[in-house]
Amino acid sequence: MLNTVIVFTENKHGILYRIADVFLKRKINIESLTVSKIEEKNMSRFTVVIDANIKTLQKGINQLNKIIEVIDVINTTNDKIVYREIALIKVNAKKTPEKIEKIIKDQKAKIISKKKNSFIVELSGTEEAINKLSEKLRTFGILEYVRSGRIALMN
Amino acid sequence: MKINGSKAVMESLVNEGVDTIFGYPGGAIMPVYDALYDYRNKIHHVLVRHEQGAGHAAEGYARLTGRPGVALVTSGPGATNLVTAITDAMLDSVPIVCISGQVAAHLIGSDAFQEADVIGITAPITKWNYQITKAEEIPEVFAKAFHIASTNRPGPVLIDITKNAQIESFNYFYKQNPKIIGYKSIPEPEPNKLKEASNILNSAKKPLMLIGHGILISKAEEALVKFIEKTGIPTASTLHGLSALSSNHPLYMGMLGMHGNYGPNLLTNEADAILAVGMRFDDRVTGRVSDYAKNAKIIHVDIDPAELSKNVNADIAIVADAKKALTGLYPMVKKNNHTAWVKKFNDCYKKEHQKIITHETHPKSGKITMAEVIHMLSLKTKGEAVIVADVGQHQMVAARYYKAQKTDSFITSGGLGTMGFALPAAIGAKFAKPEREVVAVIGDGGFQMNIQELATLAQEQIPVKVIILNNNFLGMVRQWQELFFDNRYSFVDLKNPDFIKVCKGFFVDGERVEKREKLSKELDKMLDSKKPYVLEVKVRKEENIFPMIPSGAAVDEIRLE
Ligand SMILES: Cc1ncc(C[n+]2csc(CCOP(=O)(O)OP(=O)(O)O)c2C)c(N)n1
Repeated sequence: MLNTVIVFTENKHGILYRIADVFLKRKINIESLTVSKIEEKNMSRFTVVIDANIKTLQKGINQLNKIIEVIDVINTTNDKIVYREIALIKVNAKKTPEKIEKIIKDQKAKIISKKKNSFIVELSGTEEAINKLSEKLRTFGILEYVRSGRIALMN
Repeated sequence: MKINGSKAVMESLVNEGVDTIFGYPGGAIMPVYDALYDYRNKIHHVLVRHEQGAGHAAEGYARLTGRPGVALVTSGPGATNLVTAITDAMLDSVPIVCISGQVAAHLIGSDAFQEADVIGITAPITKWNYQITKAEEIPEVFAKAFHIASTNRPGPVLIDITKNAQIESFNYFYKQNPKIIGYKSIPEPEPNKLKEASNILNSAKKPLMLIGHGILISKAEEALVKFIEKTGIPTASTLHGLSALSSNHPLYMGMLGMHGNYGPNLLTNEADAILAVGMRFDDRVTGRVSDYAKNAKIIHVDIDPAELSKNVNADIAIVADAKKALTGLYPMVKKNNHTAWVKKFNDCYKKEHQKIITHETHPKSGKITMAEVIHMLSLKTKGEAVIVADVGQHQMVAARYYKAQKTDSFITSGGLGTMGFALPAAIGAKFAKPEREVVAVIGDGGFQMNIQELATLAQEQIPVKVIILNNNFLGMVRQWQELFFDNRYSFVDLKNPDFIKVCKGFFVDGERVEKREKLSKELDKMLDSKKPYVLEVKVRKEENIFPMIPSGAAVDEIRLE
């Protein structure tokens, strides 16, 4: 099951290394990882999406708590959080640009760059929303595609 | 007070009460060594012959004092040579503070001479590490390092100091025990959990207590004796818990684990309640974990929350210091005795004695056995020496047959199983407790892994005693090849040097013994020596250590032959 693990740490060198190692050492795969600074508190916030069974994950989380610079760890699931991921999709717009524009509007995405033969589309949303959009755009030809990690707040 | 970084390192060490360090100099740590020259009257520096030796010596020192041992090394190879010892300390929860030099901050990342990514290399094997690039960081980082190494579950820390930080001057101010926001102190044991635990123990018919290293670390030996004498619970020890409870105690049932005693292993699976304190259910203790202690409610007390339900699921998990947990439980448990249950252990012991022990400790003929050496040593030292065992068959023999009567009497490399541990660790132990007899017990293989530390011994002239149990084999591996690989002895026979000549070459006294009639006299000679001394005993070549839980077997599948 997909879990979102939010880790608050002191903003110090080398923490990413230790956090990654906890998962690496247990062969727990990191689906995505977002790190940001919390400026005013001199802290960092790691949002890690993990696909692992809960027992294995809990053992990993116990180890995260042992990292000296880790201040707090929250392990949560999609139903308890509000979260966003961002996708940028460069889609072939040679033939039917109006069809693409309609899809984009329906899916509440945005065109952030318009060239003669291609659009760059942005969508911020849940994983499913992004999957749905990219599925729909695939028929026109996706030229390039990139997705961010997740950011999440407890609901 | 404006001083340079190197002097600040010395002042910080003095502030932490450090009076002995183990080290080896080199380019990137030279300013610190220069400062050390002025502190020779306050800090005794032991010059080892390989940095691994410094690490294990620091461990030996820490194991007997409970305070962090300190290792000081240069950058690059100096630091990488420490890696095995740091890993060893990590797995065995030993507080050591390692200080490594590093190239100047402006050179970092340039593949400068003797630059190694020591922080990266040691991140997975340290409780904490930190690279100091500015002198002014020194006092706070040292205070943190000593605090982190020695509190909660102890472990190794490493401080990497760039050369510029050793030279720059700044205003020195030291404050011990700094506050670290993410590092929580261990809470008092939860009363309701203690209550639940005591309920289980009070109604148990076949309770068993398992004690580990945590008893020694938290100095819970007396609390333990009070507790078991009230409850009458038979008690078994892990390898690292040895000597926490006197082996004479009527409720001491012996050692757990692969080569532990028959009763404690076999009866683990008959127990209806297990109280495990300060131990971590290592796979060498549990055997096949899916068939471990299935009839028991398990109460697990450990200071490290991550250990609870990690290997064995705990019915009651208590995060606590061992001593606090035992003193907390004491008033809640009923006075009891479990005579019939204890008798089962004693019967098992009788069986083990008959089948194994007596033949090992009192052989009638043939060459000397490892066990008779340890048995005799145990009697001659009244179980009050500090035994520092290396890794292999001799280690298991030392653990099984040295009958410790005094706490902190058995040191070995358990978690990592590091051959080459014993000689340097014994040196560290002797510096920690010069008044105690320290005897290293080492195999002929392991002796050659840190043999260079004989020179350290000779230079320091401290009376560490070394017994080499020489079977001319990598014995433990040979045993496995015999039992599980169809007698195919693949690269385990050793053509050894003349150990005594080698010792003499290092200016260390020594003697070899082969004949049973001479053993007692030679042991006396070794123990009477006021100087470092090596006794090589030629023992049987192809002895096997039994009992044994073959790997993958359950604890109750323990074999007596
Ligand atoms: C550094 C290291 N390398 C290899 C091993 C694997 N190993 C475990 S026991 C052993 C044999 C030890 O032989 P010896 O020191 O002669 O002791 P004996 O078992 O014969 O008593 C070996 C090679 C180890 N534990 N540590």
